[in-house]
Amino acid sequence: MLHLLNGPQTLGNGRGFWISAGFVLAAALIYPAFADPYDVGNFAYFLIWVFMALGLCLMWGYGGMLSFGQTFFFGIGGYAYGVFSVDLGNAYGMALGDFAMAVLLAGLAAAILGYLMIYGRIGGVFFGIVTLSVTLALAFFLGQTAGPEWAIGEARLNGFNGMQGMSPLSIPWFGGGIDLEETALYYFVLILLVCTYLALRVLVNSRVGNVLVAVREDPQRTELLGYDVRRFQFGAFVLGSMLAAVSGVLYTSWGQFITPSSIGLPAAAMPIVWVAFSGRSDLTAVLVGTFVLLAVFQTLTIYSEQAALILMGLILVVTVMVAPQGCFVGLSRIANRLPKRNRTLRVPSAEPG
Amino acid sequence: MAALLEIAGASKSFGGVFAVADVDLAVEAGDIHCLIGPNGAGKSTLFKLVVGTYPPTAGRIVFKGTDITQAKSFARVAQGMSIKLQAPSVFKALTVRQNLHIALQDHVARHAIGTEEDRLLETLGLTSDAHRPAGLLSHGQQQWLEIGMALALRPVLLLLDEPTAGLSSDETYRTGELVKRLNAEGTTMLIVEHDMAFVRQIATGVTVLHLGRIFARGSIDEIVSDSRVAEIYLGTPHGQ
Amino acid sequence: MFADLFAYFYQFADVFAFLVLSAAGLAVIFGMMGIINMAHGEFIMCGAYATTFAYHAGLPLPLAQACGVVAAGLIGIVLEATLIRPLYSRPLDSLLVTWGLGLIATQGTLIVLGSSMAGIGTPGGGFRLGGYGFSIYRMILFAAALCVLAFIYLLFKRTRFGIYARATMQNANMAQALGVRRNRIYALTFGIGAALAGLCGALYAPTMTLIPTMGATFIVEAFVTVVVGGANVLLGTAPAAVALAVTRTTLNGLYGQVFGQIGLLLAVVLIIRVLPEGFSGWLAKRAS
Repeated sequence: MLHLLNGPQTLGNGRGFWISAGFVLAAALIYPAFADPYDVGNFAYFLIWVFMALGLCLMWGYGGMLSFGQTFFFGIGGYAYGVFSVDLGNAYGMALGDFAMAVLLAGLAAAILGYLMIYGRIGGVFFGIVTLSVTLALAFFLGQTAGPEWAIGEARLNGFNGMQGMSPLSIPWFGGGIDLEETALYYFVLILLVCTYLALRVLVNSRVGNVLVAVREDPQRTELLGYDVRRFQFGAFVLGSMLAAVSGVLYTSWGQFITPSSIGLPAAAMPIVWVAFSGRSDLTAVLVGTFVLLAVFQTLTIYSEQAALILMGLILVVTVMVAPQGCFVGLSRIANRLPKRNRTLRVPSAEPG
Repeated sequence: MAALLEIAGASKSFGGVFAVADVDLAVEAGDIHCLIGPNGAGKSTLFKLVVGTYPPTAGRIVFKGTDITQAKSFARVAQGMSIKLQAPSVFKALTVRQNLHIALQDHVARHAIGTEEDRLLETLGLTSDAHRPAGLLSHGQQQWLEIGMALALRPVLLLLDEPTAGLSSDETYRTGELVKRLNAEGTTMLIVEHDMAFVRQIATGVTVLHLGRIFARGSIDEIVSDSRVAEIYLGTPHGQ
Repeated sequence: MFADLFAYFYQFADVFAFLVLSAAGLAVIFGMMGIINMAHGEFIMCGAYATTFAYHAGLPLPLAQACGVVAAGLIGIVLEATLIRPLYSRPLDSLLVTWGLGLIATQGTLIVLGSSMAGIGTPGGGFRLGGYGFSIYRMILFAAALCVLAFIYLLFKRTRFGIYARATMQNANMAQALGVRRNRIYALTFGIGAALAGLCGALYAPTMTLIPTMGATFIVEAFVTVVVGGANVLLGTAPAAVALAVTRTTLNGLYGQVFGQIGLLLAVVLIIRVLPEGFSGWLAKRAS
């Protein structure tokens, strides 16, 4: 399996890449020792969104399905976690159960929506507007749930003001659970992100990833090579959407609230901006680019949220007009091309694992 | 013994116009069967019925004794069919090696894929282009790559739609030799072709389609000496 | 009994008008150019704002609404020439660019004009029938929706521009070889689509609160009407709007607004599962 960490579907396969990645990870691991817990919590907040971006990268960049519905699944994950944690609590490892159930619920929603779209042969631009329509409808619906009749068990949905008072994630430990907040949450999210990133690298360089990029390039040809194209698209859509739900759960746990505005516009546009800007065809580019954009956005938001959003819109326009494959992917291609022209990229299975 | 591929009474109409009408065709295991006919004869439509791009309006298609009339394309391929389409449709943004890899990965043990890729690259004369995006290859090289991908599936039945379109006469001859070698190794072929010299080089049986119907069938010599066929087809500048 | 029937028809007409007026501009641009204009809602907002400005500046309402239409149309033509044209061959990228533009327009308006502005009262008064009250302006909107459908039909079926536009849609290179100036056709088409969005905003400006995010109120309905209608605007938009309006009106009556909206979406998803090419694809197939 591990040899699939490197391959033609990922940039950064050399020893130099892995050594620098190791340094970045080490720095991230010791960062809390040098920063105050508030900043660490803030850092965790950036990492939380990256799952959603990686999910979009998988389905759009690798699978060729442009979904505008990441915040739809983010919202389902977040609200579901809220409801579960209010009703079922977070003691004795139940929080992780709430987490898992919320993500699975979003997966179920993705399976239904994905089945109808993919097996209904909705493709291209329609894929985007159908996913956006359900997203906006969910935001609209949740905005209408202010009354006390909108409650699931003890959990009030609370309309436009959003759900509050859910418990944070916690992991079971001797003598009571450890609530995941600030530094603890940071480590939890960091480890989860590293695992997700590595697992996705293996996935995209595996048989499945090969087929996904083939589908992106030419679905008909791929089918004539004997692959059930729609099954692969379906799988990528469900998995990518579940990653959005992971972001949703972590977000809800981080702030102990979630509102419809994190589902509707302009929130729904943000994952698109991150992934388009970073370079949708590569996981590492998306990981780094999303993080950078979030940091920029956060800094600007302190002065003016509108200005920050305008900048995001501008970034999207400029990226598409000037560097359609994305800044980070474009840059790394250029960097790769200059030295060592004859360095060859072998397909991984040709090498001893 | 039943034929490997059997088309029985196949028809396909588009908006009331029959592109293929009541065609019966049997391809025996070991054949190199060529499908010829003037433009608009329904060759490509018939091909697409076999491939499963769309279902026939009427009729049955049986492959290896199984009715596949309603089967999806990928399921037909999984049963041992393999197709090279008319227009080269390799994955242009992926490297030549990746193209082959995607075709091979389900048909060769994982540890052997690399060696198999090398062997195919060698056969196709694309070894030095292995790391180039397939879209940068010449037209002829793309045709060959696509034949290579079709072969990678280890097909029982190989369907080639105009394999020599856009090739030089030398390349055409080499393609013909490749087809014969593959056939000798046990691959049955159904080939749509315009180039009569090529058909003469390879065919064991020929079917002529005209206006969506079977017009004549036989060996290449019988077809060439049939004056009715000459009238519709060989009389045109295509057939020397 | 008559009053009940009329009340149902009135509700239907209201939803129908909303669907048609929301979707017309989007449908024209998509049908003729294959591009989904994600800034559609912002063109609607632009039409509404321009109308309101002109009205407060002293113009009578119909003239003010004309200003809204013209403003949106002109902005559309300019955007087409600068940002959309380079992306003809990349429809998904034009989706992204127009979305970015929409984001900029909404947030820019928020900064410049604040979160709301003084509106226009709904004109026209109302009348009563049976136990129900009806607004005359809503009836005018229904008439306007019918006029828009007729306008689109006549424009693309009966004028030289329309014939060129449809020729370009079917085969841009061939049309160009025959002397049709593709760029001008596309610029005009985009402009007309934007102007129709502006018209939607202009017509609804007197009925709602003006906020920079008001476009979002319209786009879900616009999207679903276009998706259900399919690629051919001339064939698809009207039946799609009728089907969706009947669904929505019935559900609204039975279960209320929230379920009306959710039911609408479910209907859409089911329709596209059955008719992947929308009503127009289905009708075209039946005709052949």
